[in-house]
Amino acid sequence: MEGIDRNGQGNAPALLVSDLVKRYATGVEALKGVSLEIPDGSFFGLLGPNGAGKSTLIHCATGLAMPTSGRIEIFGNDAITRYREAREAVGLAPQDLNLDWFLTVEETLDFHGGYFGMPKADREERVEELLDAFSLVDKRDQRTRTLSGGMKRRLILARALMHRPRLLILDEPTAGVDVELRLELWHYVQEVNRLGTSILLTTHYLEEAEQLCDQIAFINHGEIVAQGTSPELAGRFGVDSLEDAYLELVGRKELSRSHLGELDGTEIE
Amino acid sequence: MSPTAIRFFTLVRREVSRFVKIKGQTIGAPLLETFLYITVFGAALGTRVGDLQGYEYIVFVVPGLIMMAWAINAFSNNSSSILQQKFQRAIDDQLSSPSSPGQLLTALSLGGFLRGLTIAVITFLVALVLVDLPVEHPAILILALVLIGFFFSQLGVLVGVRAEQFDDVSFVQTFVLTPLIFLGGVFYSATLLPQPFQTLTEFNPVYYMISLVRYGFLGIDDIDVLLSMAVLTAVTVGLFLFNLQLFRRGYKLRS
Repeated sequence: MEGIDRNGQGNAPALLVSDLVKRYATGVEALKGVSLEIPDGSFFGLLGPNGAGKSTLIHCATGLAMPTSGRIEIFGNDAITRYREAREAVGLAPQDLNLDWFLTVEETLDFHGGYFGMPKADREERVEELLDAFSLVDKRDQRTRTLSGGMKRRLILARALMHRPRLLILDEPTAGVDVELRLELWHYVQEVNRLGTSILLTTHYLEEAEQLCDQIAFINHGEIVAQGTSPELAGRFGVDSLEDAYLELVGRKELSRSHLGELDGTEIE
Repeated sequence: MSPTAIRFFTLVRREVSRFVKIKGQTIGAPLLETFLYITVFGAALGTRVGDLQGYEYIVFVVPGLIMMAWAINAFSNNSSSILQQKFQRAIDDQLSSPSSPGQLLTALSLGGFLRGLTIAVITFLVALVLVDLPVEHPAILILALVLIGFFFSQLGVLVGVRAEQFDDVSFVQTFVLTPLIFLGGVFYSATLLPQPFQTLTEFNPVYYMISLVRYGFLGIDDIDVLLSMAVLTAVTVGLFLFNLQLFRRGYKLRS
């Protein structure tokens, strides 16, 4: 039926976060009542400085952190009370290269598929597809510990896609990768999004967010401080680019490239 | 197979594949250690010790060694596996999957349980060839060993989840488990000890475990078998339920 999603929740957003608070045992309040909606099919960017709460928000959505209060729904399924359905819909490519050293490349994908309940034949077929798509075929029997950083990054993304999630969460996926791999990953995730997968991306590369995302939110000190398209955000802060809007947000507008350009010009004169 | 069953078997498969991949260290080394004990205490010293409670010393000592091998391997497998996965954050792959806390706990427990079982079975089969080892009460023996194996698997999970560094695991193994097991009467009968050590031994839970296994093999009943079995069942179930609560809360696994 048209208009009804696969969980029967009917046009539910990919991710709906309401008044989410996360206070750690240390007393640090990493999220202070965050509310956010990522429409189904969206390519959504979440930007903010280190320690702003990006990873905590992602951890709360994927069951790696327990929210203190508030709600998270993934395609209409509560992330706590209906965690099975919620987590089935999410693929997480975390910031850390958290691969299991005891497993080979192929086993990493196969075990992940198993954790998500995929039958053997389906896992085998999907493993071949992903090994091929991420140029990992000749590494399939290699232990993950022996892979280069770039290969580990590819495998992390392939693992996140293994169970065909409807929401892909990419936590700084291109940190520390070379230009070719970055562009390769961009092409791949754009294609995944075009085929209907919603994407939540956190990144420090603003041009990455501008290039890929249809919606961007700024998070700072555990709060969403602005949301919109890249031009809308620039307009809201009264500046010309997303980068300048970001610098306004973090209180470092003196670092603006246009400002530095003016200084350079002054010196030349 | 249902998705739930696939999830569970994959979680168990991960734990088994870990110890199989490093089998020299996880199976070979403990087997060598057990056979060194049999050789030194059984064959070499045993001939000087004479009979204990009506059995040759080597026959007397083998049941305790089988139990010790299962217990220590179940414990060390699970504590190391969980701590390693926590360090690498690789456990996040399982934690962010739709697996339930009960599935995760049981699968992580079974890794060590199956490793201990493998070593215990090989030791038993080799012991059958080397010595004339009776099995007087097979049902009690199997039930007791399964409960003991599962108890120490749970203990391994608990220590692995709580641990923040490898010292935390080795501390428990070296300063708590090994003394309790050795002083529980693996190599001797507590009835031979002078007072107050005989009474002190009665406060050591491992004494009852070894006695149950020795009863299953040799028929020696220096403890109340039914009461010991009931208490062992209760503490094993109790520890499982305690761990389950920790897994539900995400204690030291989910932030």
